[in-house]
Amino acid sequence: MSFRVSRRSVILGSMATALACEGRRADEERAALWYSYGGKNREVLQRLLTRFQTEASHPRIDATFQGDYFEALAKVRTAIAAGAAPAMTHVVGEVVPYLAEAGVLEPLDGYEGAADLDLVPALAQSGAYEGGADRPLVAVPFNRSVPIMYVNGAMLDHAGISIPRDWSELRAAAGALTVRRGANVAVWGFDCPVSWWFWAALVASAGGRVVDRTGTVTLGGEAGVRALDLWQTLTHRDRVMPPPLGRDYSAWQVGTQNFLSGRAAILWSSTAFLRYIEENANFPVRVAPLARDVRHAVPTGGTFFVLLRGAKDHEKRAAWQFLRWMTERAQTIEWSTSTGYIPVTSGAIAELRRLGYYEAHRNDEIVLGELDAIEPWPWSPTLFRVQREIMDPLLEDAVLEGTDAATALAKGRKEALRP
Amino acid sequence: MKPARPYEPYLLLAPTLALLTLFFIVPFFVAAKESLFTWDLLTPRTYVGLSNYEILWERGELWRIFRNTLTYSAVVVTGAIVLGLALALLLDRKGLLAAFVRGAIFSAYVVSWVAVALLFMWLLDGEAGLVTRLAMAMGLPKKNWLGDVDLALYTLAVVSIWKIAGYAMIVFLAGLQDIPPVLYEAAALDGAGPIMRFRNVTWPALGPSAAFVATSSLILSFQAFDVVRIMTQGGPVHATEFFVYAIYEQIFLNLRVGRASALTLVFGVVVFSLTALELRLFRRREVA
Repeated sequence: MSFRVSRRSVILGSMATALACEGRRADEERAALWYSYGGKNREVLQRLLTRFQTEASHPRIDATFQGDYFEALAKVRTAIAAGAAPAMTHVVGEVVPYLAEAGVLEPLDGYEGAADLDLVPALAQSGAYEGGADRPLVAVPFNRSVPIMYVNGAMLDHAGISIPRDWSELRAAAGALTVRRGANVAVWGFDCPVSWWFWAALVASAGGRVVDRTGTVTLGGEAGVRALDLWQTLTHRDRVMPPPLGRDYSAWQVGTQNFLSGRAAILWSSTAFLRYIEENANFPVRVAPLARDVRHAVPTGGTFFVLLRGAKDHEKRAAWQFLRWMTERAQTIEWSTSTGYIPVTSGAIAELRRLGYYEAHRNDEIVLGELDAIEPWPWSPTLFRVQREIMDPLLEDAVLEGTDAATALAKGRKEALRP
Repeated sequence: MKPARPYEPYLLLAPTLALLTLFFIVPFFVAAKESLFTWDLLTPRTYVGLSNYEILWERGELWRIFRNTLTYSAVVVTGAIVLGLALALLLDRKGLLAAFVRGAIFSAYVVSWVAVALLFMWLLDGEAGLVTRLAMAMGLPKKNWLGDVDLALYTLAVVSIWKIAGYAMIVFLAGLQDIPPVLYEAAALDGAGPIMRFRNVTWPALGPSAAFVATSSLILSFQAFDVVRIMTQGGPVHATEFFVYAIYEQIFLNLRVGRASALTLVFGVVVFSLTALELRLFRRREVA
């Protein structure tokens, strides 16, 4: 049998090979990023992504919005189980130990430049978790925040009171700022999403720990009870704080809207909303550390970038390139100053100081001061379950119904022991 | 009628049976198996026997979800029948205006649940919602429609009734137009007033329509998810946690495949039982 290769087939074959190689190269130079931002944060991320991709040497990042943090996590987990995980995503701090212990996160120590990221320890894995520095690096800080107190300056001045510094001052200030019209409340003196994060902040401030050093879930012991009791007192006895109006992030949005529309005088929320609140408030916004109990301590919030072990190697390399670029000084500064998240590298903070940014933005300076009061999370794979499954519903129930705080938390501890 | 070849009926049934097996029967047995394990999709499964069922029972979740779902369904089915029938009786007339109003009412049925939920969240906002403001303008106390443990389930039910009432109205209208006018004439000649005519002519003739509306709204209310996900996320304090949402929450938010499977199995049993009861009632009615 004779087999002739025509000139035409050689050309077609070469073209096909070239196209295939081109396709492969394009494939090698891209990675998927699943993110959870809406509103202003999404705009800033998109702007940075566009800039990243204008440089020819950079890989393509296919960024897809996947709902809020918890919806995105559900999708990531399902994708991992289905073998279709994106190369990169960002997850809340409480989830990192769980995912790391499940073995689905890519260890990053071996990646080029991993040791030179210049991260702020309190916001990075090394300082945000107990013993975080002794573990393989699996998470790089991205949008990191702390809980903070926002105060309507006009209302505060009108009432002639100063910013509350401890729990008893908070009760007094909230009482003075609450405006009642008959049976209805026109202005709540204090508003706060009844959420695990703020409760954890209260527990830390009251000198307790959610998980003890042996890994047992204690829910703060007596400090946990005091923390929950404070919310119940403000809601039911003092009637200066609105009852919870929704779970997850809708509660946060409601709080922010209450504050901006003048229906709440003091708001506890995340530093993540700093820029949004400042830009949308028609009154002077003052920021202060959360009112404290026996000590000044706050947990960190926000998310970490993680690479998923199941992704292809070339995708992970592309993702790492983007991740490193995002932690460079210019991007860190832009992300932070455009949103309200804390800069995650020491170089970015130093540069902002040099430029006089903190003199011009006193609220940001106060937020930065909170880095000295960071209470690290325990490296506990159960932390996420305790948050989602036990504490968030328990807190909502206890604050809304006014059930005994000690009994509610004892029930929560029992639940935490179940498999 | 006897088939020409004995296997022919099975051949005709085969595609439906294959789909049912693939999408209902096999997943049901997979869920039954998974309900005996704890699993989070990422780490290996652990056999726990009936512990998932025990935990759901001990925590009161099973009973609470069952009670919530049945209460919501009962309100939605009753509301859809009453409102749908009332609208059908009011709008069973000729003319452009009646046709326009019928169209406007039915349009709610074709709007997506997400849009409806978002619209009602705005209307029912406890502070600035239109409903709240109207209530306050009329001197009524301010109500937290979606945040009150005692109100939230009924608020969701009212939203669902609003959405499906147009569909019920169309079904009842079709039933009303099938009733021969001579029956009304005969009843009028016998001296029956409007109420007697409704009771003895209209309602009995609308039996099949009412049964259809009841069945379809029951199915719809048992599948409630979007409206819960968007408006209340099962809260406040689990007051609006229905079966489908609870299953979603367990598997996707709490990472509990085993507990979600146990709930699925219980939900399946509830649906099978209600269907069997309904079929029995229909058959008894047909025989009568």
